[in-house]
Amino acid sequence: MKSSSAQLARNSKTRKQNLSLLLFTLPALIVYALFKLYPAFSGIYYAMTDWNGVDKTYSFIGLQNFIRVLRDTYFWQSILFTFKYVFVMVIVANIVSLTLAVAIETRRRARGVFRTVFYLPNMISMVIGGYMWMFIFTKVLYYLVDNFNGFSFLDHMWIGDPQYSFVAIIIVATWGAVGYLMIIYMAALQGVPESMKEAAVLDGANAWQRFWKVEFPMIRHALTICVFWTLNAAFQVFDVIYTLTGGGPGRATQSAAINIYEEAFRGNIQFGYATAKSTVLFLIVLVITAIQLSVMKRREEEL
Amino acid sequence: MKKRSAISVGVYLFLILSALFTLAPLLLALINSFKSNGEILTNVLSLPKQINFDNYARSIEKMHYLRSLGNTAFLAVGGVGLIVLFSALAGWKLCRTKTKLSRFLLSLFIFSMLIPFSSIMIPLYKVMLALDIKNSLLGFCFVYAGLGVSMAIFLYHGFVKGIPRELEEAAAIDGCSPLQTFFRIVFPMLKPVTATICITNVLWIWNDFLLPLIVLSDNKKYTLLLSTNTLFGQYSSDWSAILSALVIAALPVIVFYALLQKQILKGITDGAMKG
Repeated sequence: MKSSSAQLARNSKTRKQNLSLLLFTLPALIVYALFKLYPAFSGIYYAMTDWNGVDKTYSFIGLQNFIRVLRDTYFWQSILFTFKYVFVMVIVANIVSLTLAVAIETRRRARGVFRTVFYLPNMISMVIGGYMWMFIFTKVLYYLVDNFNGFSFLDHMWIGDPQYSFVAIIIVATWGAVGYLMIIYMAALQGVPESMKEAAVLDGANAWQRFWKVEFPMIRHALTICVFWTLNAAFQVFDVIYTLTGGGPGRATQSAAINIYEEAFRGNIQFGYATAKSTVLFLIVLVITAIQLSVMKRREEEL
Repeated sequence: MKKRSAISVGVYLFLILSALFTLAPLLLALINSFKSNGEILTNVLSLPKQINFDNYARSIEKMHYLRSLGNTAFLAVGGVGLIVLFSALAGWKLCRTKTKLSRFLLSLFIFSMLIPFSSIMIPLYKVMLALDIKNSLLGFCFVYAGLGVSMAIFLYHGFVKGIPRELEEAAAIDGCSPLQTFFRIVFPMLKPVTATICITNVLWIWNDFLLPLIVLSDNKKYTLLLSTNTLFGQYSSDWSAILSALVIAALPVIVFYALLQKQILKGITDGAMKG
């Protein structure tokens, strides 16, 4: 008898707590459910319809859209391009930003100035940055080639030739991303205890050995964060490509996000089909980030 | 010692060249924004012969600069205001309540952080259409809140864990209602993490391009980036108009950065390390 009344009291206390919890989370819950959860889940349904975005009526067509996605060579080309872009970005952006972070950390006085400068592009939208670079690629480089000797290696169609426009995209995207990664690497490097570095110096290790044997193992968690961030951002790449090449020439630099955007909002408006594509993209991103996180976490623990 | 200083010079040289490379697009845009198209053609690298604000007058008018700036500022302030208010309320209560429901709600908020925006943008477009907020800036603020609360709740939840609850309990005993306790006692204590959340979200909303691009159709509601993009489409070879537009479009974030540099860099580091 006694225990059940205690339980009743506990239950009513829990119920009161939950009610108050619901009231406090309600505003967040409503906007979150409406603009994130519902779109995410209803997307799975729309992906199985022939909805074209305009008509009020549409019908359920099962997995037909997904079968079409599998056969859509343009989509897989854009996925392939995205993979290539992600791969190059993860390597280039992280090497450049880590190099800059290490170089800055060796300076005492000028550290602040350089950090400020290198982070600046990160503040500016890639739409603005992209158009500024467009000026360089279409005007400034040709000016250098025409007026100075020794710049002929720049004489390419930077925006019109698929091979070089890929390089152009990587340059601009790296320019925009490096500051953010550098800040994270710098914070991690500052966390390496001074005593360990000094001990390594006393043991006669040179700068190269000190970095790889002492500092690098200590900043592995920053590497995990940065690779994770680059992967995620790169898989969704849109702004840089939209402003620089628009996915062209033809479809040569079309990323998955650009391909989905074109499918849904340009020309042939096929929302149902485009949603099926975006579901496939989500699954790919999910699998890859899960693999990356588990692999890198395991490596970190081994050290 | 000699070898040491040689390395030091090398590192400096590397850093200075990288800094020049980093600043080149901005500097080239700036110096050429004062030139006529003819002058740009004859010499891109020289300083402008005269400082002439005609280009700026033209681009300010063409891109409806002040209106676009106002729209963007409205979205950033409104969106961030909602994110902070909603997430602080939720994050605090989620941390202080230890029930099955609280654990469920927290994981519900966090699990979607990995869903890429391009995966939800089409159904989201439909939701905004159905709610008739396609061209409503206020509606956009709520959409940004919906997209932003996950991360912010995660950060608030983590921060609240680290602050003692005695003060709240004392306030409750003194007869404060939970809401009063929140606004008088808790919210002021959350200031450091609120700063981080404000900075990261202002920058996100300010620089967001894809959502307005697909949803906004009324050009009176255009953001700075949309107006810049439209101008670029209309004047694709008129670089003196475009470059001046790019400079003034970049200006607000550069000023923001110049004023709040320390807080911004700290906020970015904190946000990244915890996220």
